[in-house]
Amino acid sequence: MDPWVEIVLPRPDIGGSVHGPVNRARPPRHRRSMSVITVTRLGKSFGRVRAVDDLSFSVEPGAVTAFLGPNGAGKTTTLRMILGLVTPTSGSATVGGRPYRDLTDPLTAVGAVLEAAAFHPGLTARTHLEILRTAAGLAPERVDHVLDQVDLTGAADRRVGGFSLGMRQRLALATALLGDPAVLILDEPANGLDPAGVHWLRGFLRAYALQGRTVLVSTHALAEIRQIADHVIIISGGRMVFTGPLAAGSDLEELYLEVTR
Amino acid sequence: MKDLIRAELVRARASRTVRILVVLAPVTCVLWAVLPVALMGADGPLSVDDRVRNVYAMAQQAYVFTLLLGILGTAGEFRHQTITWRFLVTPDRGRVVNAKLAAYGIVGLVVAAVSAPATLAAGALLLHLGGHPVTAPGVPAVLLGAVLAVTGYGLLGVGLGALIRNQTAAVAVALIWFMYADYLLTMLLPGLGRRLPTGAARALAGMSMENAELLPAWAGGPLFAAYVLAAVLAARLITLRRDVT
Repeated sequence: MDPWVEIVLPRPDIGGSVHGPVNRARPPRHRRSMSVITVTRLGKSFGRVRAVDDLSFSVEPGAVTAFLGPNGAGKTTTLRMILGLVTPTSGSATVGGRPYRDLTDPLTAVGAVLEAAAFHPGLTARTHLEILRTAAGLAPERVDHVLDQVDLTGAADRRVGGFSLGMRQRLALATALLGDPAVLILDEPANGLDPAGVHWLRGFLRAYALQGRTVLVSTHALAEIRQIADHVIIISGGRMVFTGPLAAGSDLEELYLEVTR
Repeated sequence: MKDLIRAELVRARASRTVRILVVLAPVTCVLWAVLPVALMGADGPLSVDDRVRNVYAMAQQAYVFTLLLGILGTAGEFRHQTITWRFLVTPDRGRVVNAKLAAYGIVGLVVAAVSAPATLAAGALLLHLGGHPVTAPGVPAVLLGAVLAVTGYGLLGVGLGALIRNQTAAVAVALIWFMYADYLLTMLLPGLGRRLPTGAARALAGMSMENAELLPAWAGGPLFAAYVLAAVLAARLITLRRDVT
């Protein structure tokens, strides 16, 4: 099934209805406040290296937010702090007003695709998903559903050790989608995807945001993200250097090179 | 918590390594039983009853497999970085380890419950063929103790895996310690040796040693449990809090 078709259909679980042609659906208030990412004066030091320094921003639902910056700017560290995997040295990060570690059902609140997502090579894609679905207490049919969403059903019963980088990336996305989350956080999600895969991912993320959900994407692929991002956050050396809406027709590459110089 | 334990069991059941280790455990016990049967006639201070009990105590040799299962179940997640997914689903890292303790307790119990009857059957057959008495007082207690000790090593493996995190290092440390260092210390310093994990497990399994007085079985169990608890607590206080990068 074409995932694009599937996700623009009305979905009762997001409150708002999206009928007919795709348009910006405003989700109800409670849902909106549930899915705002707020980063407040966030800092992280590794020894003497200040990886993230006094970083503050918020990521709103209903939009794709691009999270940009040079290698070593602190993007991955910031995302891992939002996800409770890395403990901040100072400041805080919350999703829907709560630190990730305090979320009751984190998988239904936030889906994450981290850079170079790892899998046990000896397990099949289905088993990988089944383990996490069971741990999260989600409905059994979610596994087949997300496999179908990322077009991985045909490879579901193959060991992940034989997967290409693109297939692993799809499996990582499937894992992130298990809980049908209101927030998607993706670190370099297009890595290893072939052109058709990139095209598909672009449509997928766009549609996800159109449903009123929050999408935060860290990437170096400016030309790609340019096509779907509504908002841009650029950091460099662990500090914020630009945040603002991405106006139609503006040159993202020029802006990026200008502020990270 | 039930969901987390079930998830661990799904993972264990799907792993080829787990299946291989579970099959190897009773086979190893049966092979080990040959040794004390062969030594039945040898000189020494042990009584015939002690020697017969020691044949059945070989059910404890499955310990190395449950220890490995526990280590692979935790340190393996760090090695393959799948621990990132686990902590995303369950940010309370202590709960993840608790679920692993419960799950590998169950897996360890299964391994022990297969190994003990296998050792009993093989031991009885070998003793019978060798013309020795087939049973002695206290054999059921020895088998029960072995089941508890083998299960306990699975829990200890989880604790060590969570504490050391590096799978290769954890396996190396565990094998060197439990197969050699602990035995060596027991030989050199019996007073200390009987209080070490191996000594506690042997006491629990009701083994008799020629050169070392073991603790009573009722003391061996709690002492072994204390070692498991110490490893888990150390993991929670030291390594589990670290950043997952």
